[in-house]
Amino acid sequence: MARKKIKSKDKHILALSTLVNHPSAILYEKEDLIAYDCDGFTIHKATPKAVVFPENTEQVAKIVKYCHDHSLPFLARGAGTGLSGGAIPLNGEVIISMVKMKKLLSVDLENRRAVVEPGFVNLKLTNTISDKGYYYAPDPSSQYCCTIGGNVAENAGGAHCLKYGVTTNHILGLEVVLPNGDVIEIGKNGIADEPGYDLLGLITGSEGTLGIVTKITVRILKNPESKQTVLAYFDKVEDGSQAVSDIISAGIVPAALEMMDKTAIEGVEAAAFPVGHPKDIEALLLIEVDGIEAGIGEQIEQILQVCRNQNVREVRAAKDEQERAAWWANRKTGFGAMGAISPDYLVQDGVIPRSKLPEVLSKINKISEESGLRIANIFHAGDGNLHPLVLFDARIPGETEKAMEAGSACLKVCADVGGTITGEHGVGIEKREEMRFVFKDEEIQAQTDIRDVFNPDNLLNAGKLFPTPGRCAEVKKEMKAAAIS
Amino acid sequence: MTTTSFLDEIKSLIDEDQVIDSTKDNQPYGNSGHITIHPQTEQEICDILQYASNHHLLVNIAGAGSKRGFGGEMESANILLSLERYTGIVEHHAGDMTITVKAGTSFQEIQNYLKPYNQKIALDPFLPQQATIGGLIACNDSGPKRLGYGSARDAVIGLRIVYPDGKVIRSGGKVVKNVAGYDMNKLFIGSMGTIGVLSEITIKLRPVTKDETTMLITFPNHKIEEIKAFSIQLLDSMIEPICFELLNPELTEIFSGEKSFALLISFEDVEKSVQYQEEYLKKQIPKNAKMKKLKGEDSAHFWQAFYQLVPNALENPKNEKVKAAVKIGTVNVNIAPILKESSLIQDTCNVKIFGHGGLGHGIMQLYIDGAEVDVIDALKKLRSLAKMYNGYAVIRHLPFNLRKQIDTWGEKPSSFFLLEGIKEKIDPKRMLNRHRYVGGI
Repeated sequence: MARKKIKSKDKHILALSTLVNHPSAILYEKEDLIAYDCDGFTIHKATPKAVVFPENTEQVAKIVKYCHDHSLPFLARGAGTGLSGGAIPLNGEVIISMVKMKKLLSVDLENRRAVVEPGFVNLKLTNTISDKGYYYAPDPSSQYCCTIGGNVAENAGGAHCLKYGVTTNHILGLEVVLPNGDVIEIGKNGIADEPGYDLLGLITGSEGTLGIVTKITVRILKNPESKQTVLAYFDKVEDGSQAVSDIISAGIVPAALEMMDKTAIEGVEAAAFPVGHPKDIEALLLIEVDGIEAGIGEQIEQILQVCRNQNVREVRAAKDEQERAAWWANRKTGFGAMGAISPDYLVQDGVIPRSKLPEVLSKINKISEESGLRIANIFHAGDGNLHPLVLFDARIPGETEKAMEAGSACLKVCADVGGTITGEHGVGIEKREEMRFVFKDEEIQAQTDIRDVFNPDNLLNAGKLFPTPGRCAEVKKEMKAAAIS
Repeated sequence: MTTTSFLDEIKSLIDEDQVIDSTKDNQPYGNSGHITIHPQTEQEICDILQYASNHHLLVNIAGAGSKRGFGGEMESANILLSLERYTGIVEHHAGDMTITVKAGTSFQEIQNYLKPYNQKIALDPFLPQQATIGGLIACNDSGPKRLGYGSARDAVIGLRIVYPDGKVIRSGGKVVKNVAGYDMNKLFIGSMGTIGVLSEITIKLRPVTKDETTMLITFPNHKIEEIKAFSIQLLDSMIEPICFELLNPELTEIFSGEKSFALLISFEDVEKSVQYQEEYLKKQIPKNAKMKKLKGEDSAHFWQAFYQLVPNALENPKNEKVKAAVKIGTVNVNIAPILKESSLIQDTCNVKIFGHGGLGHGIMQLYIDGAEVDVIDALKKLRSLAKMYNGYAVIRHLPFNLRKQIDTWGEKPSSFFLLEGIKEKIDPKRMLNRHRYVGGI
């Protein structure tokens, strides 16, 4: 087949176009590149040099080698749902889009594993194997469209990681294209504890700065025999928080333990999947228990009792699967639902020791009052992962900056009580400077030392994850102001 | 630098009774030091490493010393840094279900401390009474219950590490979910002390379940293929075992007096669930298979004995006989054929092999008894066997003189240059546990 002519005169575009299957597998014209100027973190934007769509490992390796040999910055991108700006081409990168590498390569039920290409969509895996009684556990809210490659880069979590862990706990093997184009395989055949430093664990969650993952072996789990979900409404946030602690203290390990506050409830009720939550409650808990059917009833009874002891207004278990699904749909669209009550919103992702919940929530309220911006709270209460959603209107001058400051202040509160600045969304561009809330300079240096082993020229996804060395808070402010303008 | 010349200087850094001249110690497992230092604080660990780094001294690290037979080509370094006296609980937040401990604390001591809170560390290492938490994490040890519990990489959420130059680096944090920066914890778990000394370890806890039971099912007249098929069918059912381990006949004999393959299956949950799974299991077992239920005290005794079986460096080699231990990693269900074939190696090499492996996690432990030359022969054959099944074999216990005859770790992985790069960045002088790890790192 004759190749369609590439219109660009740029020698790199021309060269890169020969490394993919078809001229349509490279985008380089300005209007085509706009869609790639940001990911789910929309406050910061930058234009890539080009976007290429390889279809196999060999092509990825060739593209990477070309970029490496010609000192072109590059980065990998999945579905672009990341919330911290990890796939934004800050340095005019060549974006290597993984969306055409979307095959499910194999499923091995006996050995509980599946091999996927990085562009394979998270939920599709569960959908493909559910009739055989299996599923893939990590379930970020964007699972209907986010890719497993992206999940690996971000070490994505989800509502059910309280019991089952995050992405890193489910990755058995990776094929990785290193920043010089070499291809390595780690966790060969998905076998555990491969001798040598745990590169699997290191690369998972490295936000695409150590290599580009081209094949992933994941652990799959057997569907639990039974699941039951409880919904509880509280008039006081403190009572809801105490109920969370008491459930855990009772020795129950719920599959999920989610909480929403009043503003968040207002949002989800105004959005696509309302379920009729009362608007005047202060906190809502969604608690799911799964496992052997014979043992579920007792745990549900205990949970209902714990809630009653904490002055719950109303608490009950879902009457059927339909109701359970409706509650979850309502919760899982929580972030997007903020669009129904605010023109713009900024999602934060702090983690705190569970016992500090009431203290932290009151501090976040204070931040809200002081900034004059509403802050909704949706959180994975069981593991202390908070998602304060700062509501703002970007059309009002200065409000975006105010929202970013409020978001950062929320993270400071989390760090100060012994928590951290991100539980599942990653640092990306957004929280680079906030890394200083939790790490000393030499600890950050220890991490960049490791990056240099993999990515010595720093051509792969540069400028992410780590604060600018030796800069002070003033510079950070300037940077944020520049990002907004 | 001679031992005596730096011994005096070391004594100026640390109390005299914490420093021992161990030049003359007879250490059949190597990995020792001309002098042994017992720091009691993190600052002392920092001071010693800084001193060693400035003076180009080599340092070996030990906890209780049970794993001194695990890797290492050096009989003795200048200093043996023993963390045995660096013990204790730093903090325990019962409500947050996290604990921070000093590396030299014994695993059992931590579990005992947690018991009144109905909490535990969800790990089941070998030699729990003796092994220190630091040692078992540095070696990434795990037992049969890893099927339900996971392994050290699933439990550890934060570390304080003393780097070779004496600085303290923290990785992770104190919360159970954390993606700030690289997941540096993972680098140190299983790193065999080659890139830093673990100082404080923060671990997430799990509740002690209300009920637990262990079943030992013996198969006197069954072929391994039948046991494998039965296992696959059970694992595909709704049961949620914490442990699903296949035992070879030699090992089964120790516990049941019967020389046959056996399955060791444990459940931990609320009472009704455990009972239900037990009943289900009873209905499934094939004809002629026998099931023995271990509950309460019986179960505790059984596991205590089970975890003590592993040959280790706290016992001295007797006569000409040696003991070795090897860990094989494979694709889960290949445990069955490998265990079967290891029995044949037993006969051809004239050794005794006790073995068990998890059909749900693919990690197998084999303990070998025999004359030196036979044990080496058996180890080589076991490594080839593992390779045939696309797996690996790591020798986790062998006397020092024999470790020269067979490499502890086997072939270098294709990513070896990265492992070496990491070592070079963190420990450029190669002073910590030199040559203890993969490819001589």
